[in-house]
Amino acid sequence: MTVGTHARRLRAGARTGPGLGPRVTVTGAASTAVRPLLEGPRRPARVLAAFPSAVYLEVRTELEPSVLAVVTGEAARLPNAALLSAPLPDLAVGEDASAGDGTVRIGRLTLRVRRWWDPAPPLGPVDPALLAQAAPLLDPWEHGVPGGETADGLARSPASGQGLPGLAGNEAVGLLAASCASGWLLGAVTAAEQLVGLGPGLTPSGDDVLAGLLVTLRQLGAAAGVEPAVRLAGWLAAAVTFDARTRTTPLSATLLHCAARGEAGPEVIGVLRGVAGRQPLEPALRRLRRLGHTSGADLTQGMAIGLASVRALRGAA
Amino acid sequence: MSLLDAPPHVITVGTSLLDDALAAQAVPTTPVAWRPPLPGAARALATVLADPRRAAANAEAVRRLTSARPYLVGVRRAAEVLPERTFLHAGPPITWERASGPMRGALIGAMLLEGLASGEEEAVRRLERGEVELRPCHEHGAVGPMAGVVCPSMWLFEVRDEEHGGTAFCSLNEGLGKVLRYGAYGPEVLERLRWMDEVLGPVLARALARTGPIDLRALVAQALQMGDELHNRNRAATSLLLRELAPAVVEAAPGQAARVLRFVIGNDHFFLNAGMAAAKASTDAARGVPGSSLVVAMARNGTDFGVQVSGLEGRWFTGPAGVPDGLYLGAYGPQDANPDIGDSTITETSGLGGFAMAAAPAIVRFVGGEVEDAFAATRSMYEITLAEHPAYQIPGLGFRGTPVGIDVALVARTGVLPVVNTGIAGRVAGTGQVGAGLVRPPAEAFVKALLALADSVSDPFE
Amino acid sequence: MTDLVLVRKGAYHDSVSLMRVSRALGELPGMEAAMVAMATELNVSVVREMGFEVPATEPGDLLVALRGRDPGTAAGELDRRLAELGGRRGAGGGGRAEDPPLTTRSAAARGHADLVLVSVPGEHAFCEAVDAVEAGLPVMVFSDGVPLRLERRLKELGEERGVLVMGPDCGTAVIAGVGLGFANVLRPGPVGVVAASGTGAQQVTSLLDWAGTGVSHVLGVGGRDLSAEVGGLSTLRALRMLDDDPATELVVLVSKPPAPGVAARVREAVAAMRTPVVEAFLDEGDLTGAAEAALRALGRPVPGWPCWDVPAGRGRPGGGTLRGLYSGGTLKAEAELVTGLSGTFVDYGDDAYTRGRPHPMIDPTLRLDALSRVAPGDVVLMDVVLGHGADPDPAAALAPAVARVPGPVVVALVGTASDPQDLRRQAAAFQEAGAAVFLSNAQAARHARSLS
Repeated sequence: MTVGTHARRLRAGARTGPGLGPRVTVTGAASTAVRPLLEGPRRPARVLAAFPSAVYLEVRTELEPSVLAVVTGEAARLPNAALLSAPLPDLAVGEDASAGDGTVRIGRLTLRVRRWWDPAPPLGPVDPALLAQAAPLLDPWEHGVPGGETADGLARSPASGQGLPGLAGNEAVGLLAASCASGWLLGAVTAAEQLVGLGPGLTPSGDDVLAGLLVTLRQLGAAAGVEPAVRLAGWLAAAVTFDARTRTTPLSATLLHCAARGEAGPEVIGVLRGVAGRQPLEPALRRLRRLGHTSGADLTQGMAIGLASVRALRGAA
Repeated sequence: MSLLDAPPHVITVGTSLLDDALAAQAVPTTPVAWRPPLPGAARALATVLADPRRAAANAEAVRRLTSARPYLVGVRRAAEVLPERTFLHAGPPITWERASGPMRGALIGAMLLEGLASGEEEAVRRLERGEVELRPCHEHGAVGPMAGVVCPSMWLFEVRDEEHGGTAFCSLNEGLGKVLRYGAYGPEVLERLRWMDEVLGPVLARALARTGPIDLRALVAQALQMGDELHNRNRAATSLLLRELAPAVVEAAPGQAARVLRFVIGNDHFFLNAGMAAAKASTDAARGVPGSSLVVAMARNGTDFGVQVSGLEGRWFTGPAGVPDGLYLGAYGPQDANPDIGDSTITETSGLGGFAMAAAPAIVRFVGGEVEDAFAATRSMYEITLAEHPAYQIPGLGFRGTPVGIDVALVARTGVLPVVNTGIAGRVAGTGQVGAGLVRPPAEAFVKALLALADSVSDPFE
Repeated sequence: MTDLVLVRKGAYHDSVSLMRVSRALGELPGMEAAMVAMATELNVSVVREMGFEVPATEPGDLLVALRGRDPGTAAGELDRRLAELGGRRGAGGGGRAEDPPLTTRSAAARGHADLVLVSVPGEHAFCEAVDAVEAGLPVMVFSDGVPLRLERRLKELGEERGVLVMGPDCGTAVIAGVGLGFANVLRPGPVGVVAASGTGAQQVTSLLDWAGTGVSHVLGVGGRDLSAEVGGLSTLRALRMLDDDPATELVVLVSKPPAPGVAARVREAVAAMRTPVVEAFLDEGDLTGAAEAALRALGRPVPGWPCWDVPAGRGRPGGGTLRGLYSGGTLKAEAELVTGLSGTFVDYGDDAYTRGRPHPMIDPTLRLDALSRVAPGDVVLMDVVLGHGADPDPAAALAPAVARVPGPVVVALVGTASDPQDLRRQAAAFQEAGAAVFLSNAQAARHARSLS
């Protein structure tokens, strides 16, 4: 995911810190991925980036996810998100924040959770025949979508981008695909290490490809009963998350940790459900591809590799 | 997608507490601004809505209403279609005793025109004795504006519904000022009616024979896009009709064409009567569907406001006619106004008039409002109608179809009454028009219709 | 003191909004009493009992009774607050430019929606619900007082259109984590619940949540769904839906025992399901037992259910009659069952008490009155239900009244850690007021019986 250039900066005179006005309590919904963070003791946090409809908070903790996306309106529901029932107040990078004791606090805003959602909802059993039908639709070279700027910092792809994956033609991606399909763990881990943190922005393309792959291997592998795919997901996840915090952006590292557990946003889940025949696949793919600058295309590419691997490993098993 | 696949978007109707609880969970909701139904309607509403026939019956009735294709096919003398010694009048049935000033005036005028009385007093005496039978236009396939009196030597537009085969009639428009339909019966009124009988009617009949049938559905659709709502503003429709007729009038009667055409041009409402016949043909197509709660007629006789419903063929449900709220001509004021009168509410019944106010922002000042009021009036009518008209569209609402097909159940549930545009007649016989404005029908007429529908359900729930 | 009584024609507001306005007016300086309510028979009689002269009214009128030094000022405040209620939806709510829909039919025609939640007074609920079903939308009818034949008709229509009808008198549902009506904030998980009883479902899911086991969905069906007249149409559909739902690994069916013919159909449906079903039929066992059975079916450990006992040395002498003061009908029935009916039990959530006034989970008035009339030595057993829609702080009003009861008080506190009211804070407040607090209603009832 690439972050737009309109992130709010702290404006002189606009600062209204704690104590300079009444606290505003807003309720909302949150991913259960962030529940341990919210139910633990209060920990300090800092605002990594602030946009009109999304604020990314880095919490000082060893828990993962350690980055929390506080979003509103139509912003992407990342697997580490808390969704507000009201518009975000004016917040800026550097604002004091904390998470824990049942709340998230940013500046004067206090968020309390009134609903939890599962970022890794079970897919249920999948008929393997459906996997073959879905495969061509996930081909990243077949579909490009126009896009534009958005309010959550996850910019929609401009026309020139054509919605192609950011790492189209990259050798490591090729190696990753080939290794996963053949169940060659060393090759997959080698490729993955080259991809972590590769690309610009808050969520580099390499991480998005890996996230799409991990979620697909784990969820679809389990749903189709392809045990080697689930095992591969486990090994790959361990390798990718081991030092993700030092190798990529904090938000991206958190999203990789989520993906390692099979957690994703509704756009990715929608495509998985589409592949499983539980909802129409093509509209779900269009929604996913619209995400971010190249993020949606990168995730799709990772999912395509994951789908191909599950099919190949099923045949091998 | 199943209900269980994702967090739902919820329509909430009832206590705000439950909507608030959803909003607090960041769940999108659409709250309904619910109110209790009209007094006395609750039980009947449940019965009517539980009637297994209703959904399909209403779908069928409104399909017929909106698919009607009314064509102007002829102009005929009323004597050809009226029963012996019978005058037609607007609205639900009325007796001489209960008739209002303008209705009496128009009946007196008709007696004089037909030579059934030599003077006013004799006319009154004969009417009191019931020498002429008074029947509603609606019961003879006709509609009449204001008093709506039809007597044998009047000429009628004849409109045929080419889709369903029905025929409807409406008298020719006399113009403005002192006219019979507003209850005036002075010498100039009678003289004009005689000229219409001797010249206008026959000339128009011959002209129409030359043009062939004129597609009124298309004409009305066009006029809506030109700023008419087809009840209080008919300027575009009249011009469009004239464009169709003028050459044929000249060919049919070169000697009289100039006077005939000047007469038509002199009256922006000339089309109204043809439009009313078209509306009548369309609404008649929707009659007689058992179990349907669709309104097929709203009409006033100056005393009562009456409603008819598709599923209760032929029955009238009435309440007292109200006095319109609007602007008055010259020195006239509300004290001079007669209660609401006329069959012209057939336009609203078919999705025009007040229901199409948003198409006619030009006349909002006429009813003392702002342009936004016109849009609000039309939008509010979608709450009580079953469909949007496929052909009658409003440019200002993104070419959305006009709200059409009033449902008595929806009226009773929302308490929203049909918006009616209308002229205002003077209360004293012989006065004529004193103003124009908006009027709301009496709620009780709709509640009575609803109660009767509930009674007609063979298997009520209790 | 001056009395002021106003009657407004055609000014409709729901009873909860009006209760809030009444409270606000009553708290104005110099005001002694304020009641703003729809002029139902019950409300008019209440106002008359307060000593006000009430003119002739119709149930659709708004009745305002004010007593204080300057009721005129309060009336001005009333207008301001009523205008606020009226304008709230039009102006606010995320800038809805459109006119608000006046019927469910109109709202459904605007698209987007997946579900309809009906909570209008019961005599009007059928119209809104039938709109939903005819628009192909599933509907939850929270309202009670819908005639049985209309319920049957509604559910037949639901079968024709293939949509689920929850209710009438469905107090609780949870769809994909979204709490509807009186529902608790639950963690997502593998247990799907089909419930003919709202508070029954709340008890079972709250216990599961305490045990760390989440819930996929709670589908309410209404208390009469398993009667011979309705034939379990909604129960059967809800079971099929949960069976098809990939998130649901186990189904718990919470109900009174079904009518004989219906029981056979339910058994048949359950036998045909791929998903295992735990049947929790009250009379055959209690709700806590059902939650435990569900945990065992999932192979998960059953924890000890929490109890916040009376602080040492603050126990009150009991031995008198057991008085069950309930807000949840099923919880009351469970308590009767567990205690072997040894006492007097009242369900203040019953139709007879809720006509024209909010549910006791929202409005504590009736139970406060009952608590004030407890005789020395009598044992009080009461439920306090937390969650969406319930009183935002039930202990604030009830705990002081509990403290004044001249006998032991046992509270069944139904809720979860994530509930807006804060389960632990509520438990602590009742404990501080001298009550023994249990998460399990069955355990609370057993404890209360041992004290009486």
